[in-house]
Amino acid sequence: MSWLSRLNPRGPGVRTGRNTAPSGHCIADPETCLMVFQNHWRQASWILEQCEPSSSSDDLTAVRNHTDQMLCLLAEERPDLGDSVSPIGPILELVVTENVLERVVQWHIRRGLDLDSQGALLKLFEMLIGQSHQPLLQHTAVLHPLLRLLGACGDTELGCPPALENSLVLLLNQVCVTMARQPVVLELLFRAAPAQHGSTNLLIFSLLVPFIHRDGALGQQARDALLLVMAASASHEAVARYIAENSYFCPVLATGLSALYSSLPRKIDVRGDDWHALRREDWMGVSSLVLFMNSLEFCNAVVQVSHPLVRTQLLDYLHNGFLVPVMGPALHKSSVDEMIASTAYLDLFLRSVSETSLLRTFLRFILLHRHDNDTILDTLLTRISSNSRLCMVSLSLFRTLLSLHCEDVMLQLILRYLLPCTHVMLSQRRAIRETDLYGKSANKFLSLIPECCRQSTAPSMDREDDNAFWGKVLSSPSSESPALHRPSTPSRLSFFMRQQSTGTTPSSSSTQSTPPTTDHTLSPETTPTTQQNLTECLEWDCGYLEYLKDARKSVEFCSWACRNWSAPYDGENPSPNSALLPPPPPTSNPSMAMFPEHFSIQGNSSSSYNTPPNQRAAIVAAARSEWSSSERDSGEWDVTIGKNNCISLTPRSKKRSLQREELLPKPVPPLVPISATSTTNLTTSHTSPASHNQSTTITVTYKPLLNGTAAQNDSQDRDLEVKKVKRDLDERQYLDENANQNGSVTKCMSQSCSIFSNDSSEGTSSSSIVTQDLEDGNQSVESLIEELLEQSPEDSKCPIESNGQGISIEAFTQELRELEDRVKERVKEVCQQEEPNKEERQTQQQHPLEDETGMTGGVGAEDRGDSSVVGLCSPARPLNQPTAQPYTGPFMVVIFSKLENMLQNSLYVNILLTGIVAQLAAYPQPLLRSFLLNTNMVFQPSVKSLIQVLGSVKNRIEAFAASHEDFPVMLRKAQQYLVFRGRVDWSDLSSVPPLRRSDSLVKSRKPSLGDLILRHTNSPTRARHAAQIALAHVRDGGQSLHSALFRSTGGGAAGGLEKQAEALRMKNAVYSAVIFCEFLKELAALAQEHAVTLPFANNPSPEE
Amino acid sequence: MNLNPFWSMSTNTSRKQHRSDNEEQGGHGDHRSSPARLSFGKKQLPAIPKNAVPITKPPSATIPVQSTNGTHASYGPFYLEYSLLAEFTLVIKQKLPGIYVQPSYKSALMWFGVIFIRHGLYQDGVFKFTVYIPDNYPDGECPKLVFDIPVFHPLVDPVSGELDVRRAFTKWRRNHNHIWQVLMYARTIFYKINTTEPLNPEAAVLYEKDVQLFKSKVVESVKLCNSHLFDQPKIDDPYAISFSPWNPAVHEEAKERMFAYKRRPEEQHKGTQVSGLSWVKPGSTQPFSKEDSPPQS
Repeated sequence: MSWLSRLNPRGPGVRTGRNTAPSGHCIADPETCLMVFQNHWRQASWILEQCEPSSSSDDLTAVRNHTDQMLCLLAEERPDLGDSVSPIGPILELVVTENVLERVVQWHIRRGLDLDSQGALLKLFEMLIGQSHQPLLQHTAVLHPLLRLLGACGDTELGCPPALENSLVLLLNQVCVTMARQPVVLELLFRAAPAQHGSTNLLIFSLLVPFIHRDGALGQQARDALLLVMAASASHEAVARYIAENSYFCPVLATGLSALYSSLPRKIDVRGDDWHALRREDWMGVSSLVLFMNSLEFCNAVVQVSHPLVRTQLLDYLHNGFLVPVMGPALHKSSVDEMIASTAYLDLFLRSVSETSLLRTFLRFILLHRHDNDTILDTLLTRISSNSRLCMVSLSLFRTLLSLHCEDVMLQLILRYLLPCTHVMLSQRRAIRETDLYGKSANKFLSLIPECCRQSTAPSMDREDDNAFWGKVLSSPSSESPALHRPSTPSRLSFFMRQQSTGTTPSSSSTQSTPPTTDHTLSPETTPTTQQNLTECLEWDCGYLEYLKDARKSVEFCSWACRNWSAPYDGENPSPNSALLPPPPPTSNPSMAMFPEHFSIQGNSSSSYNTPPNQRAAIVAAARSEWSSSERDSGEWDVTIGKNNCISLTPRSKKRSLQREELLPKPVPPLVPISATSTTNLTTSHTSPASHNQSTTITVTYKPLLNGTAAQNDSQDRDLEVKKVKRDLDERQYLDENANQNGSVTKCMSQSCSIFSNDSSEGTSSSSIVTQDLEDGNQSVESLIEELLEQSPEDSKCPIESNGQGISIEAFTQELRELEDRVKERVKEVCQQEEPNKEERQTQQQHPLEDETGMTGGVGAEDRGDSSVVGLCSPARPLNQPTAQPYTGPFMVVIFSKLENMLQNSLYVNILLTGIVAQLAAYPQPLLRSFLLNTNMVFQPSVKSLIQVLGSVKNRIEAFAASHEDFPVMLRKAQQYLVFRGRVDWSDLSSVPPLRRSDSLVKSRKPSLGDLILRHTNSPTRARHAAQIALAHVRDGGQSLHSALFRSTGGGAAGGLEKQAEALRMKNAVYSAVIFCEFLKELAALAQEHAVTLPFANNPSPEE
Repeated sequence: MNLNPFWSMSTNTSRKQHRSDNEEQGGHGDHRSSPARLSFGKKQLPAIPKNAVPITKPPSATIPVQSTNGTHASYGPFYLEYSLLAEFTLVIKQKLPGIYVQPSYKSALMWFGVIFIRHGLYQDGVFKFTVYIPDNYPDGECPKLVFDIPVFHPLVDPVSGELDVRRAFTKWRRNHNHIWQVLMYARTIFYKINTTEPLNPEAAVLYEKDVQLFKSKVVESVKLCNSHLFDQPKIDDPYAISFSPWNPAVHEEAKERMFAYKRRPEEQHKGTQVSGLSWVKPGSTQPFSKEDSPPQS
C-alpha cells in the first residue's frame, strides 16, 4: 500500500498561501460570514441575472471577485455540529438552496469560457474542495457545477488545453482524494452524469486517463488520483464495470507502456565488462526508463488495489497490448545490442513487479507465448550460450526467474524434463528421494578441488603479510550481511569473494555469531598434530562454515518459498508415467535454432519446387514471416479507438501507415496525448533491416561455441545412446502412444499453423480474402502480400485479439496439409539416398508443439536417419519410432555446457553461472536435488551429470596449471584481487575520478562487480588504500583493475595482440580456477544442508 | 530461534499427547534462553577451530572427535556433525509418538531423551534415557541407549539401565540403520515384551511364570521412575532434559509460544520480492493450469 500512503499529498491548509488574499476577509463569527456571503451573492446574482450575457470585462471581473470571496467563505465555513439533523453550515445551505455555484458556472459557460476564467474556476474549485471543512461534494449543488466545468474542459476534441492541464489535474486529484475519504462521493459522481456527456459516467476518470503516462509531477498527480479511484472502486462493482467496459483506462495504461517502451534506449552502452543487469542507480538517470518504470509501477499498483474486473482487463491488455506485440518482438530483435537491452529491460521489469497476478502475466508471456514458433523462454535460453554480454544479461534474467521460486517456471525450465525419470537408470529411481546423510556427495564435490589450487606455494612471508593485512580488515566490524545489500545483487557473490584470502576466517555476516578470529591466532592453542593439519587445510577450506551458513539460508528459504507448490516432485508425485513427454532435445545445439522458420522455408521450397501451389504457399509464408517480423521490428503500434470503444492496436509499418492515412482519413478520436507521444517516439526509434539476414549472422557468431567439447561429447554419447535406449523402450512406447493418441491431428494442424503464422494463430478475421487469393492460383505473390497488407488492419474487427496480424490460419493450414503430404512422400524417396540436411533437422527440432502449453509427441533425436520422419512437418509420427533419448532440457544442457567451458568464460560469466547452479541446487525438490547433488546417482549415458561436468573442468584446470609454471602465483593474485574487490568500499571512491567514464547510460553507477561483492568496511585505511589503487588504475588507463593486476604476469607491458589474447585467456583460466574451488565448496555445503533441512508444512491456509 | 527443530518437534508431537505436555515443555522452556546464548559465548574459543559449525544449530556439540571418514581430513568433523544432524532431522520427521530427544550441548554424540508410555503394562511410565553414539559413526557399532533409572524390563540391564539394542541391530549398517529406529525400538519393548536372552533374567522369568508379580514389579518400577522425575538430570549438561512441576507463570507462556510458533526461514533475503508462486493445478504438470480466478487478495 505504499502507493496509497503516498497519496493525500496536500491536506487542507497546505495551499492556503496561495489564497491568502481572500481569506483575510474571513472572520470567525459564522453569522458575520453569512452576511458577507449574502452580500456578495446579492451583487453577483444581479449580474448573473442579466438575461443577455454581457461581454463586458467589468462584469466578468466583478463576478470573479464576488465568486472568489464567496467560495473562500464557503471553504472556511465549519459544519454546524450542533445541528445533528443537517450538520451543514448556513453558507453551504444558502449555496445549496440558491444553487449558487451552478448559476455561476452556467453564466460563465453561456458567456463563453475563455482559458483564463476557466483556469480561474478550476483553481477556485480546487481550493474549495481541498480546503473545505464540510463534505461539499456530497451536495449536488456543488457536484454538478463541478462536473459541468470539468465537462467544458475535457469535452473538446482537442482535450484539455495545455495551459489548463496543471489546474485540471490538481483539481481532479483533489476530487479523488475527497472521494477516497468519502466513498459516497464516488457513487454520486458515478450517478451524476450530466446530460451532455452521455455514457461517460465517470467524467473525472476519463479526464485523468490521458495523463497516465505523463512525466513529472503532473503525471504523478494524475496517477495518484487514478489510483485513488481504483482503490475506491475496488468495492464498487458498477464503477469497476464501468471502468472496465466504458473507459479507456486499461488499454491506455497497457498500450501506453508499449509507447513508452519504444522510446527506451535501444542500446545500453556500458563499457564495464562486468555489467549485466539494470539496477536502480542505472535507470534513475535515464528519463525514458524512469518514465516507463513509473508507469509500470503504476500498473503494479493498479493491479494491487483495483477491482478484479479491472485487474483482469488490465492484465489482458498488458499481455496482448504490451508484452505480445512489443516485448516479444523486442526480445527477438536481430541486433545483439537490442537483444541485450531488451533482455535487461525484461529482467528489470520482472524484478520490479511485485503483484503476483501481474507477475503471472509476465511469466505466462515468457513461458508460453510463442514468437516465431519459439517460446520466449526458448529464445532466452539460446542466448545463454552466446559468448558476450548477452550471455550475462540472459543469465541475470534467469537468476531473477529462479529467485521467484515459481513452480511454473521451474516446471518449464527443468522439472518437466526430469519428471519422466528417464534420465536415471531404472534401478536408480528409488534413489531420487534419498538424502545424503553422511556427506558423501559433499565429500565428492570437495574432492574435485584441483590439487593445484589446494597448496599455495606462495612464500610464507607473503602469507604472513596477507594475514596481517586481512586480519586488520576482519577485525573491523564488517557486519553487514551481503544479502541485505540490494535485491538485485546476489548474496552469494559477495560470499565468494569473502572466501578467497588465505589464512582468513571470514567474518561472520550475522551479528549474533562469534567475533572473527583468524586461524593464526587459534593455531597456538591447538595440539601440534592438528596444527600441522590445520595449516595445510587453511589454504582452501577456511570459510566452509560460511558456505554452510549461506547454504542453510538458501535451502531453508527455498523450501519455505516452495511450500505452496502443487507437488513435491520426488519422482513419484507427479507420477513419472503421467508426466507429459517434454519437448525433445534439439538435434543440434540449441543455439543454432534461433530463427528456424527461415531454414524450414528454404528447405521446403527447394524440395517442392515442382508443385506451384505449394511453392506459392511457401513463398507467401516466407514473405509473410518476413513481413511480420520486420513489422515487429519496428515495434510501432497504432492505438486507435473504434466506435464501440474498442481500442485497436495495429502494428504499423511505414508502408501501411501511409495507406492508413488514405484509407482512414479521419481516425476516430484518438487518445491524444498517448498516441502523440507514441508516434513521435516511435519514429525516432525505427529500426533495422529485415531480421532474417541478421539472424543468420548471429548464428554464425554463435558457432564457435558449438564446437566446444560439450557438443562433441554429446553427439558421441548420443550414438551410444541409441543402443541403450532400447532397454527403456517399452515404457517409453507407452508414453508415446499416449502422446500421439491425444495429439496427432491437432498437432499437425498447429504445426502447420505455427510455421506459417508466427504466433498470430488467433488471427482469423481476414480469412475470406486470403482464401480467395489462394483459390485464384494465378495471382502473383506480390499482389497477394500487398493485399494482405492492405486488408488485414481494416478487417480485423477485434484487433487486439488478433494481434493485428489478421491473416487466415485456416486457409493456410488447409493448403499446407496437402502440401505436407506431398512433400512427405517425395522426401521419403529422396532421403533414402541422401543424408537429411541440416535445415531439415533444424525444422525437426523445432517441431511446433501442440499448443502453447508445449506438449508434444516424442520426437526422437536419433531418428534423424529414419526415412519416414524426414518430412518437413510430418504430422503423424509413426508410433514405432524409437523414442527420444533422455534429455534434461535445454536449460540444463546449456548451463552445463557453459559450465564445462568455465576456463574460457570471463570471471563475471562464471560468477553468474555458478550462482545460477547454486540457486538451482538449493531447491528442495528431490528430482532436482538428486539430479544436481546426488553424486552417486547413475544417469543414462546421454545425460551429463553435474559431477561429470565439474570433473572435466577439474581436469582442464589441472592441465592448465601443469602447463603454466607461474600458475600458483597467478592464482594467489587472482584470489587477492577478488578479495580486494569484495572489500573495497566503492562509496568512498566516489570522490575519486570515476573508474569509467559513463558517457552513456548511467551517470551515477558504481562499478558493478564492486557492488556485487561489496561489503562496507568501516576502516578508513582500507578505503584509502582502495582509492589509491583505483587512482593508480585510472592513471594507467587500464580497462579494469584486474588487468592492472595481471599486467606483471602477462609478460610485460609491451604485448602484441596475441599476447593480449593469451593474457586474457590466462586471466580467465586463473579466475575460473578460483571460482571453481569456491563453487565446489558451495555445492558441498548445499549438499550437506539438504540432509538437515526440515520441510515446511505446505498448508498455507492456516498459516496465512 | 536456533532451536527451531526442537520447537517444531515439540509442537508437532505434543498435540497428540495431552497428559504429560506440561512437564515436558517445562524442560524445554528452561533451556531456551540461557544455554543457547551461552553456547555462543563458549564457541569463541573452541578447542578445535574447525568444529565451530554448531553455532547455527542446537546440537552444538563440538566434541574433539578426530575420527574422519572422508578423504579430506579437515572436513571430517563437518561430516560427522552433519550426519548426526541429519539423523536428528530424521527423528523429527518420524514424529515418533511419545518420544523426545535432544542432543547434548557438549557432544553431538550424546542425545538425551524421554519416553512416555501411554498404555499397556508400562502405562504412565515416563522414562528418561541417554543415547550414546559411537564416535566412528556411522561405521561403528550401534548406538547405546541407557535409561537413567533401570526400568524393570527383561531387556534392560537392572544395574546399568542399558537397553539391549544390539539384538535389534546386530550389525549397524549405514544408510539402512538410523537412530530413530533405535528410539522406535526403545518404545516397542514396552508394548511387546520379549524375554529371550534377557539382560534382566528375573524380569524375564517372572513374565513367563508369574505375570501378576511381574506386573506389580513393573508398576513399582514405573512409580519409582516417576518419583524421580523432578530430580536433577543425571548428566550435567545445559541441554539435558529436566522436569519441573507445572508453574503457570513460567510454563503457560512457553506453551503458548510453542503452539503459536510458525517456522519461518531464518532470513528472508530480498524481502520485497514475491516468491513461492505456483499456478500449477495439483495433479497437472502444465504451467498455469490453475485458474487465476482467486488471486491472492
